[in-house]
Amino acid sequence: MNTDELIKRLSSDVSPVSPWALEKRMLVGGASGVFVSAAIVILWLGFRPDLETAAITSAFLIKMAYTGALAVCAIAASVHLMRPDARPAVWFVLPAIPVVLLGALAMTELAGAPREAWGSLALGHGVAACIVSISIISVPVFFGLLAAARRLAPTRLRAAGAAIGFASGSLAAGLYALHCIESSASFIFLWYSLAIALAAAVGAIVAPPFLRW
Amino acid sequence: MGRSFGGDRRAHEELLRLLAPMLRSYFGWRVRVAAEEVEDLVQEALIAIHTRRTTYDLSRPLLPWVYAIAKHKLIDYFRRTSAAPMKEELHDCDAIVEFEGACAARMDISAMLESLPEKQRLAIEATRIRGDTISDVAAAHGWTESDVKVSVHRGLKTLAARFGGAKA
Repeated sequence: MNTDELIKRLSSDVSPVSPWALEKRMLVGGASGVFVSAAIVILWLGFRPDLETAAITSAFLIKMAYTGALAVCAIAASVHLMRPDARPAVWFVLPAIPVVLLGALAMTELAGAPREAWGSLALGHGVAACIVSISIISVPVFFGLLAAARRLAPTRLRAAGAAIGFASGSLAAGLYALHCIESSASFIFLWYSLAIALAAAVGAIVAPPFLRW
Repeated sequence: MGRSFGGDRRAHEELLRLLAPMLRSYFGWRVRVAAEEVEDLVQEALIAIHTRRTTYDLSRPLLPWVYAIAKHKLIDYFRRTSAAPMKEELHDCDAIVEFEGACAARMDISAMLESLPEKQRLAIEATRIRGDTISDVAAAHGWTESDVKVSVHRGLKTLAARFGGAKA
């Protein structure tokens, strides 16, 4: 087919593009993933039994604020990277702020506790359950965002994959917090962060072949 | 692009027609192969521009977006054919891309300036783009110096308001 015909054919189907179309597409992808992930938390893990009273404790609010802040930055970075002419943006360094803040909080918590308590503060009731659960919960969100991204135009595929993984990890950690009964800042800082970083790393490795266009 | 976002077929066709020769020269300079293969790349880029047009941000200049897509297709082509360009050639490529970016920015700027009244456009072009002094410009057109200053100021203000968020 010659280029002239191609242009004619392409121009015969010009559906209007609404403002924020790209953001909407990512939102739909992410939201459907979150929906499935929430179902997994509810049906498989269940909410923590004391959710109603725990919901106003500082530990719970810290979890929500931490994962929420990371999720906002990661989603913004993902959306940004879906444009072909994306440049490094403020969203790539902003996640450092909540990490540093929570790190400082974890330090003061440990400094104020007797040395014998450090183990239980840092390790809680079980590290493996936390990391494995967050990883599993992040999968649907990851695929939701990935499906949306496939119809967009990322050119930095590894960075885009990492951002999507990061977003799905943070959202999954936020959902997992509805089940998790750990209450120390040290635990959240160490293991929530690790699980989220893991999701980002997996995203960077797994996503690029799917993002090619 | 604004009008093709609104679903205007004719504007969209016009835009693609305008971009095709630009893409042809972009790929032609970088890939030394038969014209048909260059044409294939042009078509691939046009299809990507069409199907992925949601990723264009209307508030940003159009051509850097177009060339980002073209570059992506070019890299993909090199990967596919494993006809990796020599290092020096890539270097040349980068220099050309930078030059093109500058040209593209210039074209976008002149498109923006077209929308201003003649006097403001001339004043801005002379003082802000060519770098002439205000007194030279005033003398050349037979205006007073404060006239030139006011025109530049008003023009920039209009542009800042129209292309929202842009720093004047």
